[in-house]
Amino acid sequence: MTLPELTQTTRSAHWGWDEHQYFGHRVFAELAGTESFTSLVALSITGRKLPADDVAVLDDIAGVVTLADPRIWPLKLTRVLASYGSAIPAVAAGLLMEDGARIGPSTTVLAAQALLAFHAEIGDRAGDAVVVRDVVNRYLETHSFVWGFGTPFRPHDERLTAFEACMEKRGRDILPHYRTMLALAEAVREVRRAQPNMGIALAAVLLDMGLSPEQIGALVTALMQHMFFAHGVEAAAASDGTLRKLPDAYLAYAGRDARQSPRALAAREYLASAVPPRRREGSAM
Amino acid sequence: MSPASVEVLDGPLENDTFPERLTAHVVTPGDRPKIHGYDVEADLTLHYEPHDLLYLSLVGELPDPSASAALAVVLTFLAPLSVAHAPGHGALLSHLCGATSTATIGVAAIGLAEHARSQVEDHQDLFAWLEAGRAGVPERHVARTPGDVAAVGRLTAAVDRTGFHAPVLEHRPTALAASLAMLHVLGLQRPEQLVTALVTARLPVAVAEALAVRPVDFRSYPINLPRFRYERA
Repeated sequence: MTLPELTQTTRSAHWGWDEHQYFGHRVFAELAGTESFTSLVALSITGRKLPADDVAVLDDIAGVVTLADPRIWPLKLTRVLASYGSAIPAVAAGLLMEDGARIGPSTTVLAAQALLAFHAEIGDRAGDAVVVRDVVNRYLETHSFVWGFGTPFRPHDERLTAFEACMEKRGRDILPHYRTMLALAEAVREVRRAQPNMGIALAAVLLDMGLSPEQIGALVTALMQHMFFAHGVEAAAASDGTLRKLPDAYLAYAGRDARQSPRALAAREYLASAVPPRRREGSAM
Repeated sequence: MSPASVEVLDGPLENDTFPERLTAHVVTPGDRPKIHGYDVEADLTLHYEPHDLLYLSLVGELPDPSASAALAVVLTFLAPLSVAHAPGHGALLSHLCGATSTATIGVAAIGLAEHARSQVEDHQDLFAWLEAGRAGVPERHVARTPGDVAAVGRLTAAVDRTGFHAPVLEHRPTALAASLAMLHVLGLQRPEQLVTALVTARLPVAVAEALAVRPVDFRSYPINLPRFRYERA
């Protein structure tokens, strides 16, 4: 008996005899040797080949976001798991924890969603500070903060300073979402004393390239993955055991006090009642 | 070759205060481990089963005897997840490719966590109904097919034997809704508690299913299930 065929459509790829397909392009004839790694990453996520100047912006992003101190929590996680000597599971775990996290690429999805909403409301009035401040105030009546703002541990996001210079050089600072982002930054600074971070700037630049918030999340994750490899590879090779198990002296305990389980208590009572009373001292045998 | 010099650098993390120690909240560090205060080696080992430890770990307290027995029933009911489902299928592909068993276990765990998350999300109205204590299980969670009705009957009979009173089963929810509702009634109510229970129940079978295929026996795998239709962009 022949089963009815289950099918699924894909725009991704096909394995041919002498040539392969990738998102509508012949791999050997059109992609290999001409498209950069960054361009292929963008093609994989957006399904389209980005113009060379967009790819250059993505390279700027990958460079500027390289904040890879081993103490940064997702990277520390990668090192902790790499302590057993295998880099890839540790890298996979590091990338996995990015999904929906309150720091890292997931925040750019939320920042992009917020920026889209602000952009729809502000429209072409980004130059009117009163309008923008009014929109921000109304937003903050129902939201406790704006995604893409806040710079923990320092007064401003040094990456953003560097990124803004890159975007000005590339003429990206005059594009619609970027202009809304700049206007928003002024208003949020004034209303909440909160500084913009890289998340809102990445959202602006990538929205101006025509990406959706979900594509932005995936692309930023891909553009940040090199840092996980840095720590996965280094920590797996070092593998000196420091992070496999911390010495007890470096641990504190803040859980429940010692206690006996109901069954242990019942067993003790049962045993106590079953044991004959101890012979009185001095009594006769 | 001379050793690399260590530079003294300054940055935001050098100018803040952080604790010196990592804090444990569940397992006491050291030679005589306790879980939420109960001595593992001299108490829990002697008097409790692994499913009680699952409950203790997630809830912070031990289940009473009838809840313990009911939990064992529900976890067993939830365990079988065939290779038709993405977690087992994904893990099978991992082992087929000759991945390490640790990688395959990791793949299975990720798949199971995603699967459990989607199931828990899909039953939010059921949990809201349970918490509100209203009459009548949400319509979409009522058992309809003969197979589902029979399965819920078997679950009800098994739970009845434990002495645990579960009125929710009288509403004849689907087998999955009944199992999730039981976990909720037993005290596993937060999404992360439910997901952990589901993953724990299913991980052994998902891994076992994966390990049953022969690594790199690519011709034994139905590569065109489903058949992909390549659409030119």
